[in-house]
Amino acid sequence: MILATIYVIIAAIFLLALKAAFGPTVWDRLLALNLISAKTVMLLTAYSVYTGDLRLLDISMSYVIVGFLGVALLSSFILRGGRQK
Amino acid sequence: MMLMISNALLVLCWIYIAFGLLGIFRFRNVYARLLTGSKIDTAAMITLLLALMLRSGSWAFSAKLLVILLFIIVTTPIGSHIIARSAFDSGLPVKLIEEELIGADSDPEEGGD
Repeated sequence: MILATIYVIIAAIFLLALKAAFGPTVWDRLLALNLISAKTVMLLTAYSVYTGDLRLLDISMSYVIVGFLGVALLSSFILRGGRQK
Repeated sequence: MMLMISNALLVLCWIYIAFGLLGIFRFRNVYARLLTGSKIDTAAMITLLLALMLRSGSWAFSAKLLVILLFIIVTTPIGSHIIARSAFDSGLPVKLIEEELIGADSDPEEGGD
């Protein structure tokens, strides 16, 4: 059952990567990036419970912080004018 | 009994992920996509982590999963709100769906005030 969940999450990550590649605006790509980081955390926790390895949970806990910081910094960079200013 | 509840929560998580992807690929406005994407993704994360907490036997797993759940509840809506604020301050227009349909039907009248 957890293995089927892992496959569903991998398919969702693939579709979101397509959205991040072909999104019409910049904010669609940012939204897809945010969702991909959340899906990666889900994948790491599910795989950690599937194999019974406790150390993967620390990695996923740090990945939450890294994904949030990446989205916040990229969003403020775009708000300040991007590369054209 | 615990395993049955955990399986039901995992199926609920699949349904949430499927509806989030449907909303992201179906809506035409950026703000609507932000709404459905962030809300349904947070719901899928909460149900998945609750199912894993019910399934994993030991206390160390459950405590760490609870910490990750609290982090996710705080950070994911804040990230989506930051993206929406960046889009609104950069001048992307907020247009309702009824306005789009009315504007598509009749010609927009120029001038006026």
